[in-house]
Amino acid sequence: MQVLPSRLDPRSEEYIVNRAVLTAALDELATLHAQAAAGGGERSVAKLRSRGKLLPRERIQLLVDRDSAFLELSALAGYGSDEPLGGGLVVGVGVVAGTECVIVANDPTVKGGAQGPTAVRKGLRAMEIARINRLPLINLTESAGADLPKQAEIFVPGGESFRRLSQLSAAGIPTITLVFGSSTAGGAYVPGMSDYVVLQEGAARVYLGGPPLVKMAIDEDADEESLGGAEMHARTSGLADYLGRDEPDTIRIGRDIVRRLRWRKAGPGTVTQTPDPPVHDPDQLLGIPSADVRQPFEIREVLARLVDGSRFEEFKPLYGTTLVAGWAELAGFPVGVLANNGILFSPEANKGAHFIQLCNRMNVPILFVQNITGFMVGTRYEQGGIIKDGAKLINAVANSTVPHLTLMVGASYGAGNYGMSGRAYDPRFVFTWPSHRIAVMGPKQLGGVLSIVARQKAASMGIDFDEAAFAPMREAFEDQVERESTALFATGRQWDDGLIDPRDSRTALGLALSACHSAPVEGTSTFGVFRM
Amino acid sequence: MTPLEGSHGPTITRLLVAGRGEVAQRIFASCRSLGLGTVAVFADPDADLPFVREADVAVALRGSTAAETYLDATKILAAAVRAGADAIHPGYGFLAENADFAQAVLAAGLVWVGPSPAAIRSMGSKVEAKRIAVRAGVPVAPSAELRTDDETDWYAAADDVGFPLLVKASAGGGGRGMRLVQDGDDLAAAIQSAQREAGSAFGDSTVFLERYLTGARHVEVQVFGDTRGNLVHLFERECSIQRRHQKIVEETPSPGTAPETRERMYAAALALAKAVDYVGAGTVEFLVTGDGERQEFFFLEMNTRLQVEHGVTEESTLLDLVGLQLAVAQGQPHRLVPESAWDDMSDEETFDALEDDRLMEVVSSFHAIEVRLYAEDPAADYQPSTGRLHRFEPGRPGDGSRVRWDVGVTSGSEVSAFYDPMLGKVIASSETRAQAARDLAAALRSTRIHGLRTNRDQLVAILESAPFLAGGTPTDFLELFPELTAPQPPAELLRDHLVAATVFGALSRQAASPVWRFAPSGWRNVPAVQQTVTYEHRSGPISVAYQRMGASEWTVAVGEATALVRVFGFEGERIDLEIDGLRRDYLVAAYPDSSLEDLTASLVCVDAGGWSTDLREQPRFVVAANAGGEGGTTTPVPGTVTVVGVSVGDAVVAGQTLVVLEAMKMEHRIVAPADAVVERVLVAVGDSVDAHQVLIVFTPTSATPSGPTGP
Repeated sequence: MQVLPSRLDPRSEEYIVNRAVLTAALDELATLHAQAAAGGGERSVAKLRSRGKLLPRERIQLLVDRDSAFLELSALAGYGSDEPLGGGLVVGVGVVAGTECVIVANDPTVKGGAQGPTAVRKGLRAMEIARINRLPLINLTESAGADLPKQAEIFVPGGESFRRLSQLSAAGIPTITLVFGSSTAGGAYVPGMSDYVVLQEGAARVYLGGPPLVKMAIDEDADEESLGGAEMHARTSGLADYLGRDEPDTIRIGRDIVRRLRWRKAGPGTVTQTPDPPVHDPDQLLGIPSADVRQPFEIREVLARLVDGSRFEEFKPLYGTTLVAGWAELAGFPVGVLANNGILFSPEANKGAHFIQLCNRMNVPILFVQNITGFMVGTRYEQGGIIKDGAKLINAVANSTVPHLTLMVGASYGAGNYGMSGRAYDPRFVFTWPSHRIAVMGPKQLGGVLSIVARQKAASMGIDFDEAAFAPMREAFEDQVERESTALFATGRQWDDGLIDPRDSRTALGLALSACHSAPVEGTSTFGVFRM
Repeated sequence: MTPLEGSHGPTITRLLVAGRGEVAQRIFASCRSLGLGTVAVFADPDADLPFVREADVAVALRGSTAAETYLDATKILAAAVRAGADAIHPGYGFLAENADFAQAVLAAGLVWVGPSPAAIRSMGSKVEAKRIAVRAGVPVAPSAELRTDDETDWYAAADDVGFPLLVKASAGGGGRGMRLVQDGDDLAAAIQSAQREAGSAFGDSTVFLERYLTGARHVEVQVFGDTRGNLVHLFERECSIQRRHQKIVEETPSPGTAPETRERMYAAALALAKAVDYVGAGTVEFLVTGDGERQEFFFLEMNTRLQVEHGVTEESTLLDLVGLQLAVAQGQPHRLVPESAWDDMSDEETFDALEDDRLMEVVSSFHAIEVRLYAEDPAADYQPSTGRLHRFEPGRPGDGSRVRWDVGVTSGSEVSAFYDPMLGKVIASSETRAQAARDLAAALRSTRIHGLRTNRDQLVAILESAPFLAGGTPTDFLELFPELTAPQPPAELLRDHLVAATVFGALSRQAASPVWRFAPSGWRNVPAVQQTVTYEHRSGPISVAYQRMGASEWTVAVGEATALVRVFGFEGERIDLEIDGLRRDYLVAAYPDSSLEDLTASLVCVDAGGWSTDLREQPRFVVAANAGGEGGTTTPVPGTVTVVGVSVGDAVVAGQTLVVLEAMKMEHRIVAPADAVVERVLVAVGDSVDAHQVLIVFTPTSATPSGPTGP
């Protein structure tokens, strides 16, 4: 195994410009993260505190082991929509009593914790992560229920979330719900479907219908405590398995429940608990991705700052050179790496398909590092069978069963995104650098295509193509594509599991890999027909 | 230096030490170098102390109090028989100056390592000792015996003596039965209380009055005699620095005694010892007043045993006093020749003496200083500190320094309340007094003592203080310099200790995590909440907020100020930190109270920069017992009420039985979940009740519920 050399020159103008652009993007990211963490704003936070309650991230802080890391996912979901930033739901992977768990916490400062489409989608994603990685799920519940103005958007996926919760339990994955406040109507099924339920005394309210609804439906005058108080559920209905005295006590009971699960991870785990950090300074990652996404950059410079000891054993280094393949360890976990170093041609696609099969034979997770503008087009390549070869790569990615982690560091356009295990290919985790661009095609190319199509249409109709009239249209379209290609736009739509600071990549991927190892890491030899 | 045989006295093959702790270990050490067998006796609380394990065999005395164990002569003699001992060394304290015990040892046909019972008896009574001293021409402080219980006589005696005066127990020692009286107002009360204390401590309530000499020094002369009548002095020790009449710093030579005074004291001490045909190690104590030629000294008392502070004489003269005790107990001559004696010898005698290599010239070669390390809290009126001594790690002074540790405990020892709280003694010796003081202070500063409060900081402060270093050490030294009693570390160092404890704790938890160990401590991709920890310090609770900022950079906020911290190293208990630009090693040890990880508090001890800080890290969670339903206590089971123990208006305390039910042929007690006043009683005897039915309604009188509701 070789230690990757670095030819990066931190004094070069290119590096300085790249770093400036990425630093600005990180500043924006920090601002948005702070905005998401501020929840429903000062007034609602103050109101929550005045009732002696904790914010969702404070609840999580108390729930996870002291000084352990917490990998928050999709913190900026909802960006660019009319939804609250983060959707009023905090989701992530944390360690509780030594056990990695998926944690889902309502933010009661955001619309009282009511769930709109963003929150529902985040919740579904959290349950998928719990299921596929075999991680216990802990809900920290305090929610006004459905965001009623958005009921049409969430009625069906909301129902799915209860099905998923029930199926997690059926799959033997423990589900634990701690209720600190309202958990009503549909929300009542969250504790209802969970294996373990802890209700906070004097605070939890769990009922299908509150006093007004009960009055409307059956003309009964009922108070909240008899309809769904924690005491009532602990003593009478039996919905509560434990009664927490206050928020910390409720959380403490949750920790005890997890501790007593004696959860054993089913994956092979690390080869070392004390992995070497990369030889090259990860701080320099900020100067590597080109400020202009159309400018390629050396992906090995990224790998050299990502993998343990910067050690990388490259596979087929002389063949299909725009797709770098090889083995490394990341945070002590063995990984296969596929990383773009330019556009994909037939040899690259074949090499990738081959490598994915090898990783499946060895039961080794695969890290995809995306900086891909797509598969090569043109007569020569079409005739050379680029479709067949690209299909092999996509076939291998689609059917591979070892965990896939995808890191998007530059660009991700077109079918290249699919071949490199983009979101549609169900990687276990997808993380994106804030400077990343993602779309069907680059804005300029799309604008150009649109203009050519318009020109052809005009020609076929026999009218003159008005270049001047079309120019603003093209520009507007390019602007729209540009906007919709940003990493922020993508993360807002939950095309990934979150934006990360490039310097945190190794930590985030290491935590994700560790989470993957909670489930067995098993490859397959069953793929679709490889078209030869 | 070991005395050779050549006598016709009794032979010791196996020695029982009727004492505990460090003195037993000290005596065993001499036995080992002489090839003698050793026997320890131990009380139940001492079963795991090192001295028990160091002996060849040990005999349990069964019991905890001193009276049940180390003071029970019958048990000790039986132990000697059981273990086949042929000699008994009494150590110090307990039976060391008990003439009846010495007599009993001899009567049992065992060798008694100590002076004759008669000598013990005559010196044991301070009143009697003073009479002998006067007869021997030894100056005594003005004093008066109290022959009656008539207070008028007391006042007359007090006027003869003069104020201020001390009321002292005739049979006393160690400051017990001693009272300082400034003027006549307090006299009667002081005498009565001293009598009571002396009676209960020594079985003899006789007290006498003695002038209290202010500004005096306590200086004592070590004497040594053998059965051939050879009596020598082994120089003096100054033990002026005392807390509550208990010596805590002892040294030789005395920094404040003029050479002429010294010689006169030696002569007086030998005269007194000769008057009682003293055999073995003894100490004649004096008070010294004035300076230079106007210096005077007064006899206080004679201790007929090995002193606690014998070590300073040993370190100064390089003699083995215990070895010498064992030699003379076997009838051998001690062969010690005092330095001054050489001057008096003729050339021929000197030549013969030099030829006879069995003779030993006694020379005071080093300045030696001893401190007594006590498990007590000087800041809390010297309250003894008992419990588990989690760690005792002697400090490391500089290379080439001579530091001796006579310590009776080890890491993990339990220090009980039954005996003297002295953990041990530390002695430094050097060519100069200043160097010995520096070495001793350095040794103490770097000592790690965890789990108990000690007087270590006080001792260091004394050793480093200007008045001590100048040699100005009267017996009221600590009253003159009260700032030395409970010195506090510099505020910045305390802050640094808190920082070190915090970062060390965070890194330790990370290192112990079963998963994610590679991840930076407390890593968040969406920063929102700081890590916090709360410590209980003796100054109050202290909260610390902290955050890792980079690969090795942290910010740690203690109170208002935020420190910038860099971690240079972290291994075992050592953490190498730069805090606001100052880098040093910190040693951190944590001792959790229990294995309940979320609920346990930990004792965290930080040693660095010459200070030690004890912190109690608060648990993240606290558990309060489950209270009854709001405002009422319910029954968990259906049943029949058989007893109603309270009525309306009763004040009940948590855990008190309110109602007894019979259900399923079992009796169930329903108890008060908290202190409360009964507001309503909803059931009567014979009632059938349903599960969860409210039985008693009350208004709590205390905020925190503290007991379970159930049976």
